[in-house]
Amino acid sequence: MYKDLDPLIHSQLRLAIISMLVASEKVDFTHIQEETQAAAGNISIQIKKLQEAGYIHVEKTFKDNYPKTMVSITKKGAKAFEAYVRELQKYINPK
Amino acid sequence: MEKHELSPEESLTIIRQSIANFKMNFKEYAMYFLLWGWMLTFASFSNFIILRILHAREAYELMGPLSLGNWGVFGLTGFIIQLFMDRKISRNKKVHSHLEGYIRNIWMVAAIGFFVGTFVCFQLNIDPPPIMLLIAGVATTTSGVMIKFKPVIVGGIVFFVFSIATSFVHNEYIALLTGAAILLGYVIPGYYLKSAKE
Repeated sequence: MYKDLDPLIHSQLRLAIISMLVASEKVDFTHIQEETQAAAGNISIQIKKLQEAGYIHVEKTFKDNYPKTMVSITKKGAKAFEAYVRELQKYINPK
Repeated sequence: MEKHELSPEESLTIIRQSIANFKMNFKEYAMYFLLWGWMLTFASFSNFIILRILHAREAYELMGPLSLGNWGVFGLTGFIIQLFMDRKISRNKKVHSHLEGYIRNIWMVAAIGFFVGTFVCFQLNIDPPPIMLLIAGVATTTSGVMIKFKPVIVGGIVFFVFSIATSFVHNEYIALLTGAAILLGYVIPGYYLKSAKE
């Protein structure tokens, strides 16, 4: 229906993830899980989609022998988010 | 989360909520203020005592090296503690915000300013505290404005006032005023940050 909106961003969970990343340098996977209340598997799938599009960068390290995943937005992702917000404004305030 | 096509209004709400949920970690920030606040307060007041004793004994030639050594010991101790603190904080940190990044950069530039300022003051044979307090004032006020936290802004202004005040006094009284400035500019705002809600 909203064909001008980037379909990669225009999804509830992916939009929440990317909005969180816009406000931060990098965010831990567990923080995304806490904030969105979504299942880890679902978040992983959405993160993979955003990563494949080049919108986000995923950094995997280890903390006390446990994997720690930090996610950050790329320049391409930030530009896509800006474009998405611009399109969104056109729908909300059509002139 | 449900799978349905979002309306533009719903999208906007998600964006707003995700951004608004970010909170500045004041307690973490307070740890740095308190670490350096107490380190430098003790350094200043111990410097005052050292200079007072040397003045009474008329051992003027020892004032420079002992004073520098005293600052060095506290500075190095603070630096080592901060390295451990940084490691611990970074290991448990879940969100690295842009704001924290900007503030970190301000203090890194201020740290360079402290080193360059000290060098220049020694070259010009002038007492470093007025310049050091001026740099601390710029970094503290800017940080306070960025996090919108009044006690830190006031702390920064206190540094400006004491920067002027220290230029009117001499010898050990510079150290005494510097100690008071750090207590008011770092330590007290540090405790306000520690007790503040995020």
